[in-house]
Amino acid sequence: MASQGLNYDGCNFFRQRLVLSTLSGKRVKITNIRSKDDNPGLRDFEASFIRLLDKVTNGTRIEINQTGTVLFYQPGLLIGGEVEHDCNTQRSVGFYLEALLMLAPFMKMPLKAVLRGVTNDPTDPSVDQLKYSAVPLMRKFGIDGLELKIVKRGMAPGGGGEVLFTCPVRKTLVSVNLTDPGKIKRIRGIAYSVRVSPQMANRLVDSARGILNKFIPDIYIYTDHMKGDKSGKSPGFGLTLVAETLNGTFLSAEQVSTPQGQGEPVLPEDMGRNCAKHLLEEIYRGGSIDSANQSLALLYMTLRQQDVCKALLGPLSPYTVKSLDMCPPGYTQPGHVILVTLLT
Amino acid sequence: MEGKDSKVEQKRHLKKQSGPKAERKKVRKQLGTPAGDDERKRNPKAFAVQSAVRMAKTFHRAQDLKAKKHHIPLVDRTPQEPPPIVVVVVGPPKVGKSTLIRCLIKNFTRQKLGDICGPVTIVSGKKRRLTFIECNNDINTMIDLAKVADLVLMLIDASFGFEMETFEFLNICQVHGFPRIMGVLTHLDSFRNNKALRKTKKRLKHRFWTEVYQGAKLFYLSGMVYSEYQTQEVKNLGRFISVMKFRPLVWQQSHPYVVADRMEDLTDPEMVRIDPKCDRTVSLYGYLRGTFLKNKGQVHIPGVGDFAVADVSFLPDPCALPEVQKKRALNEKERLLYAPMAGVGGVVYDKDAVYIDLPGSHVNQEQEEVRPTTELVQSLIGTHTTLDAKMSASRVSLFTGAAALTSGEVEEKEEEGLTSGPRENLVWDPEMRRERRKAVFIEDDNNSESSSEEDEDNEEEESDEEGRRIAGLREGANDKTKLKENQEPMTAPPVKRQKVVEEREAENESVVEVPAFADSEDELEMSEEEVGQKSEEEESSDEEGEEDAALEEGTIKPGDFSEEEGSVEEDNCESQVPDKEENKSNLISCYYFSGALRWKEGLQQKASEAFLRQQRSTPNLRKLVYGTGNMSIWVSDDSDGEDGEELGGLFRVSRPEKGKKHRADGMDCSRFDPDGAHDWELEEMFDSIRDCFVTGKWEDDQDAATLLKQDEELYGDFEDLETGEVHNGKGETILRVEEDVTQKKKRLEKKRRLKERFDMEYDDEDATYFDDLKEVMQKQAELNRAEFEDVDDEMRIQYEGFRPGMYVRLEIPSLPCEFVINFDPHYPVIVGALGASEGNVGYLQMRLKKHRWHNRILKTRDPLILSLGWRRFQTIPLYHIEDHNGRHRLLKYTPQHMHCGASIWGPITPQGTGFLAVQSLAGTKSSFRIAATGVVLDLDKSVTIVKKLKLIGYPYKIYKNTSFIKGMFTTVLEVAKFEGASIRTVSGVRGQIKKALSTPAGAYRATFEDRLLMSDIVFLRSWYPVSVPHLYNPVTSLLMPVGQKDSWMGMRTVGQLKYDLGIRNKPNADSLYKVRAPRHFNKLQIPRELQKALPFKSKPKQDKTKGMTPKDLQRPAVIREPHERKVAALLTALSTVYNYKSKKAQTAKRTKHKDFLQQQDKAEEDKLKRQKEAKKKLYRMMGQKEKKRQRSSLKGGPQDD
Repeated sequence: MASQGLNYDGCNFFRQRLVLSTLSGKRVKITNIRSKDDNPGLRDFEASFIRLLDKVTNGTRIEINQTGTVLFYQPGLLIGGEVEHDCNTQRSVGFYLEALLMLAPFMKMPLKAVLRGVTNDPTDPSVDQLKYSAVPLMRKFGIDGLELKIVKRGMAPGGGGEVLFTCPVRKTLVSVNLTDPGKIKRIRGIAYSVRVSPQMANRLVDSARGILNKFIPDIYIYTDHMKGDKSGKSPGFGLTLVAETLNGTFLSAEQVSTPQGQGEPVLPEDMGRNCAKHLLEEIYRGGSIDSANQSLALLYMTLRQQDVCKALLGPLSPYTVKSLDMCPPGYTQPGHVILVTLLT
Repeated sequence: MEGKDSKVEQKRHLKKQSGPKAERKKVRKQLGTPAGDDERKRNPKAFAVQSAVRMAKTFHRAQDLKAKKHHIPLVDRTPQEPPPIVVVVVGPPKVGKSTLIRCLIKNFTRQKLGDICGPVTIVSGKKRRLTFIECNNDINTMIDLAKVADLVLMLIDASFGFEMETFEFLNICQVHGFPRIMGVLTHLDSFRNNKALRKTKKRLKHRFWTEVYQGAKLFYLSGMVYSEYQTQEVKNLGRFISVMKFRPLVWQQSHPYVVADRMEDLTDPEMVRIDPKCDRTVSLYGYLRGTFLKNKGQVHIPGVGDFAVADVSFLPDPCALPEVQKKRALNEKERLLYAPMAGVGGVVYDKDAVYIDLPGSHVNQEQEEVRPTTELVQSLIGTHTTLDAKMSASRVSLFTGAAALTSGEVEEKEEEGLTSGPRENLVWDPEMRRERRKAVFIEDDNNSESSSEEDEDNEEEESDEEGRRIAGLREGANDKTKLKENQEPMTAPPVKRQKVVEEREAENESVVEVPAFADSEDELEMSEEEVGQKSEEEESSDEEGEEDAALEEGTIKPGDFSEEEGSVEEDNCESQVPDKEENKSNLISCYYFSGALRWKEGLQQKASEAFLRQQRSTPNLRKLVYGTGNMSIWVSDDSDGEDGEELGGLFRVSRPEKGKKHRADGMDCSRFDPDGAHDWELEEMFDSIRDCFVTGKWEDDQDAATLLKQDEELYGDFEDLETGEVHNGKGETILRVEEDVTQKKKRLEKKRRLKERFDMEYDDEDATYFDDLKEVMQKQAELNRAEFEDVDDEMRIQYEGFRPGMYVRLEIPSLPCEFVINFDPHYPVIVGALGASEGNVGYLQMRLKKHRWHNRILKTRDPLILSLGWRRFQTIPLYHIEDHNGRHRLLKYTPQHMHCGASIWGPITPQGTGFLAVQSLAGTKSSFRIAATGVVLDLDKSVTIVKKLKLIGYPYKIYKNTSFIKGMFTTVLEVAKFEGASIRTVSGVRGQIKKALSTPAGAYRATFEDRLLMSDIVFLRSWYPVSVPHLYNPVTSLLMPVGQKDSWMGMRTVGQLKYDLGIRNKPNADSLYKVRAPRHFNKLQIPRELQKALPFKSKPKQDKTKGMTPKDLQRPAVIREPHERKVAALLTALSTVYNYKSKKAQTAKRTKHKDFLQQQDKAEEDKLKRQKEAKKKLYRMMGQKEKKRQRSSLKGGPQDD
């Protein structure tokens, strides 16, 4: 009776596997999680992620063996509601938030999640980037009324940030036709700094503008310096840039300073320039969906009503390729037509 | 005006024939209302705004009514070539279902079909096909068919009236989305007089309308001509069917399903030989309906279970619509009929076998020969229950009119009196030898009268028929063997065909092989001989063969399709690097960034290399998105056979392999940092993306300058009408371009822009949100259509799945062998696909209401058979109701006339899906079989139903307000859990648990608001969570042996079990009712001190009772002397006499006085009379005198006489 489960090996694409399992209702068994590693089993951040999934669902069954190398996950129903979660500081809130973005519209009750932890770190997409690129994208799929608010900013490694994420329930998503990205009309951005000199943010802005001004005059980069208890536990700074096109496509790029005590420090000028170059690279790659959100958009496209849905993508990022690979055949509902066109 | 009732005869209105009024009217009639003479203008005051509030209200109301008519606009997803419409013909037995289908088929196709078994598909018109399915009396079939029906033809025996089956089916329809329902009245020829016929028609029509909707179509088939319905009436019915429109039903629209019209067993015969009970692989054929079907999905076959589809493939349409749509009507060739289960079909060929159609007339002749002539034997063949079963079910009444009623029926009747619904009236029908479940409505008396009349008629006939029937039965029993022979070809129709087919196959074997050669990549490899052979064979083979070959040649098999295609595509890309146009045609195509190759010459080489590199690294997207078809790809297949160096020949060093680790245990991170392949210091790179900004160069068709120019062209020309001057735009001067293509394009563009402008100007005025929404949907529908219009089917299926309207073949492995062995084409086989999570089982919360016609309430934990989604299953519901504080309290029984909650363990089904419940499927024991209906409210993995639990304890020591209670708990720990809980005595004294006591285990100290009595009982009210029993038992009615498919029995209820096993519970003696001994209470004693303080009113009174008079006050008895006694006796006698006399005198006096009074009254009356008369006389005289006086005064005579 019950649909057969899926078996996987290794902890790769952990989030995707669990998220897709939750959405499709198929149970998942992941074996050999870091079994050959010196420190085998699930990491703390993965355990924290599972706990978050448990909070937003009802009736989820999770079994982990003693060494943590085998995980059995039987998904429950997505409930939503008010959720508070202390994210593990090994990964930033973006790690958890990305999964929540995928699940949030399909909950039973509107989701209101308070996530605490690291808001910005160099490994994961930061909350700012998600706010400026993923949220407008979700709006295109008919999910409006989203809110993603950074209450407190916490940099790696200490964390101490807080993010408020609210999302309404949308049973059916709108079919989108994103084949024409249009021309870029403006560039926006946010330069933030915590527990360092507020001047850092200004330096980031200046250097980034130095490059971008050659293309378009309509550039505005906000500076955001948070103080006191809103500034988290570690010092750091970073820059997120977003290019908006006439047709409402948002292409984003971001750079975050290396965490305190890890790696060599960077100059804000270098970082600003790098970030601007990343944005240019993103623009060069083109497409209607920026590379950070490709997998999210593709997931929404599969979960929407059975109409033709088109999107023009730039070269796929490795993560997107893998997440497409993950999506089991027959997962999409019948009649789903997704057309993806690649720019090369 | 001139009603017959009105007593006062009123004058009729007479029209003016002449005069000015008539003239005016005549003129008005001729001219119509004059233009200026508008009501509003003529009488403006009458139409003026009287009240702004009223006006606002009317406006609101109008808008509300308008908005109510709107449906939520949906994207039109009807396929270009829709699947045949499922017409389900339902009705109680012997009402004329098969005859009607036969007549309709004859009407549409001019062919005769003997036995209607299985779905029959016909082409009914240029754009419409119909699939007829007959629905028998089994409730399983009724439920299944109601879910797939587009149109229901509901046959009603007018001579008998409505039967319960009709209402049951209507109810099933209501729950599972309401398909179109058309009623058909038959047996109208049995009415002798016209008035009764008319009355019956009207009565039935109105009852039908209340059930379906006001004005629902009810058809009348007036009579039979040569055992067929009248041609004209059938034709009319056919017309109605072929123009009917259908509403989209939610469940059908969201789930693909197939009504199988053909079944083949694909199991290896050898395996069957070894183990006859082995699981079978079966292929089911039918038109795909509903929505798109993906390959390898999960399906549910109602009556069998859940299965995974191994393979889906589409076949050429066996009953195709005519290709050319020019003519007005269909010609004989296009009137196709396809009914493989009945043994008729067009040419079908597929993987398993090739079937050749014998001409329809031939088949019919055969079948007609087979058909026995006598109706009795024919009816025996038609039934599915065995003769024994029928014999046992039937009851022969020995005396006419003596209906033998069992005790059960008597009980039912008593209960029925309470329900408001129609009463089931079991009527024994001698012709059909079965009980007919007449639906009798209490309010209509005519019906019962007529039926009783009928009964009388029947009774007369019955006696005649009695002997005949018994004789017939005996005959039937003798003919049993004969019947079996006859039935065989019916149950397995394709057998004969198969033989022909096999022969044919043998001939065509080589033909079938041919495509294999064609399929091989290099045709040059083929030797010349083979080619020759092939050509010969091709010549010899007929059309089909050629078609087949062509098909195989042209396309690649779906299995290895995607991989090959992928490689081909890659090849294409490599070979056609500079060719932009070609690549665009591919759906997943490789675009060049327009600026990418416009760098310097030196970079071109580099870029192309980079592109090639990227091409190689880019995975086949189509494969990724739509899957390759085999699951192995994405289940990682890592073998542990890695070659590590062995330590001492025994151990292997286990080291995490770098590459593998990257694959399996890599970091899960979506952050994408582009590699630094592009150096953004270079000016060239900047140039490459400069056009991506609004400040850069725009495309030709979007450039501001060109757009301006186009506008000039479009709107530049105009003629000034006032001056007659003609202004010409620049367009005139522009040189005419020679190429027609560009010209045409421009014209089209111009048209489009003009239209857009027009729309902008005129449409926007009253465009509402609703209109906008509709437009969006329309656009999406167009996009959906346009996207795959010119893609061939094989490719299209890869993208969107099998679309509705296709004739598909589903291969389903591991079906139970009973499905094949006990296959009966009379029972529909439906393959319904399941959604993403609909294969799971979980808790369902539903809202349920006992059906008001079902004559008993339902008990919690009694198994119930539910029909939900595609499924029919038995489960154990718990009924509950929500308290005011949101608590779900368990109910023992469903409420009589109220909704209640029900929780079950069952298949996860989307919220809002309706369901219906039946208590048992076997037989028709209850009068109305549908026990309850409802809707799924919530799917939850956890349920919180609680039941009330009262813990009882007894005080064993009572202090002032404190008591020690025992018997409620058994351990100290239990008490500790309930510390602080509130408790109560039966008499209402409230209290609280304080602390556990050590000595009697489970005793505790509690305080109360008053002192308890030892006889008090203390109880603690608590709520105990109840778990829903995990019973999910799919109904496997299709697996039952032929003839017993309607006798599926699941888990029995406790009551049924007790009844069957003869168990009776011993009641608890305490619970029995008995007479209670009266209680005596002691007298109230008031302490003396308190007495003193009391007011006098409340003081106990000191007065003594009469018996307590002291002796001194008691008077002595008087004893008389004999003389005294004599005197006393005499005195008594005298007084008695006196009394008597006086009494007599009194009465006499009273009568006398009465008479006197009467006389007086009379005299008075006479006196009055006399006086009255005298007065009258006097007045008359006075009047006459007066009159005279007046007359004389008028005459002018003497003033005073």
